[in-house]
Amino acid sequence: MAELTSPSPAADAVLSARGVRLGFAGDVVLDGVDLDVAPREFVAVVGASGVGKSTLLRALAGLLTPQHGEVHLSAAGEPASRAWSMVFQAPRLFPWRRVRANVELGLEGLGLSRAERRARAMAPLELVGLAPLAERWPRTLSGGQQQRVGIARALAVKPRVLFMDEPFSALDALTRQRLQGELAELRRRSDAAIVFVTHDIEEAVLLADRVVVLARPDEHTPAGVRDIVTIDLPLDQRRAQAGFRDHVQRLERHIGVAVTHEETPS
Amino acid sequence: MKRLARHRRTLISAASLVGLVALWELALRLGWLPGNLVPLPSSIPAVLWAEIHDGIWLEVVLASLSHYSVGLAIGSVLGIAVGVAAALVPTFDAAQSWLARLLRPIPPLAWIPFAIIWFGVTETAAAFIISIGVFWINYFTSYSAVRAVDDGYYEVAQAFGQGRFTARLAKISLPAAAPGILGGLRAGLGQGWMTVVAAELFGIPGIGQRMMEASGLLATDVVVVYMLTIAALYALFDFLFMSIQRRALRWQN
Repeated sequence: MAELTSPSPAADAVLSARGVRLGFAGDVVLDGVDLDVAPREFVAVVGASGVGKSTLLRALAGLLTPQHGEVHLSAAGEPASRAWSMVFQAPRLFPWRRVRANVELGLEGLGLSRAERRARAMAPLELVGLAPLAERWPRTLSGGQQQRVGIARALAVKPRVLFMDEPFSALDALTRQRLQGELAELRRRSDAAIVFVTHDIEEAVLLADRVVVLARPDEHTPAGVRDIVTIDLPLDQRRAQAGFRDHVQRLERHIGVAVTHEETPS
Repeated sequence: MKRLARHRRTLISAASLVGLVALWELALRLGWLPGNLVPLPSSIPAVLWAEIHDGIWLEVVLASLSHYSVGLAIGSVLGIAVGVAAALVPTFDAAQSWLARLLRPIPPLAWIPFAIIWFGVTETAAAFIISIGVFWINYFTSYSAVRAVDDGYYEVAQAFGQGRFTARLAKISLPAAAPGILGGLRAGLGQGWMTVVAAELFGIPGIGQRMMEASGLLATDVVVVYMLTIAALYALFDFLFMSIQRRALRWQN
């Protein structure tokens, strides 16, 4: 695995960022971000709200141009695939397209025939368990189902890097837990590296190989990478393992959230 | 306000219409209304039959429909094209903005003098006048509908390799704005039909001209026949359009 603060891009990284500075107009939100993501690696980016997590994700994907610094993303891996794709916080399905046609979106313009597109769309729909709903309109799906379609749409293009922007934050707790479990399972079946933004530290520790903490040193300084924690726990039953809480607590301290069980005098 | 059951509502609406016509008939028969100014409702079916039998009805209806459909098609296509383009291309938006603000308040009928100077008393003149009203309705609704499209969809398009202008137009702007655009088309359908009769009052062949002829002879029953024809044809167009619209927007509900 590549060292995060290495000065030159790691040779095998699918995604490398160096000295990335982001902001709006004259205002710098994030500065000096270095990041390497290895193939098939799952990197979670955590931080308090407003720290620039989603902005960083968009810059890594190339949807935004950094004010300073460089981002290098590997080209698409195989024919008829894309270098990256994204799962958004809201599913953002096109309501005027049926479920399958939504999943086909990224496959359009890749030189596939209609039948090939259809087959390529059905595979990820089966993976997320929604193949029977392929001909439904999005409005007839629950929030959790819609987000699964969003994930299928992103997987359909066989991306090298899959960006996920707080994909479960708008869901109820039960659905969120179920989708977290499904995502852990999906990882085994996909070759994509995942960059996953969340404000939920437990979610990050539950899913990621590494967790990148974004934080501001003080009110007047732009945020940067405060810490990188490697989660060396096996993926199965992670929540139940001894190290789980240690990781969560360490990350909570670094993010600067109030950790009640430490602050409450006993 | 308490809502009425559907069948009850239909019953009251029908009774009200029938009652009014009956009252109208009665008022004429009892001499409360002057018979030379208002026709007897009971005389209308026979007059309609005579107009149909003489071939006049079909002739004037077809004439009106022909410049209506030409004006409607031109006005709708141009209105949607200009409205969508202005909503998507900032430079074009700026270029057309003041011009649109200046021309839009001018009612279609105010163009009649120019229509006659440019095209004479012809079907082209009528189609031109009809197209103007239809244009503005479609222009305005398309512009607003495309402007209102959620930016999030464009980000999705960009994330999935559909960021080119034509892809965004075909895959997002038009389908997302379709409810608004179709609403404008439907409003234009009505607006255009209203303009048809007015445009024909100046002697362009069609329903309006026939009505003017009849009024000159105080044939009020003929006037009423064509008023009802206008209403019935509009109801038919609107019904047909609504069924198309429902099908096109079945993703909505």
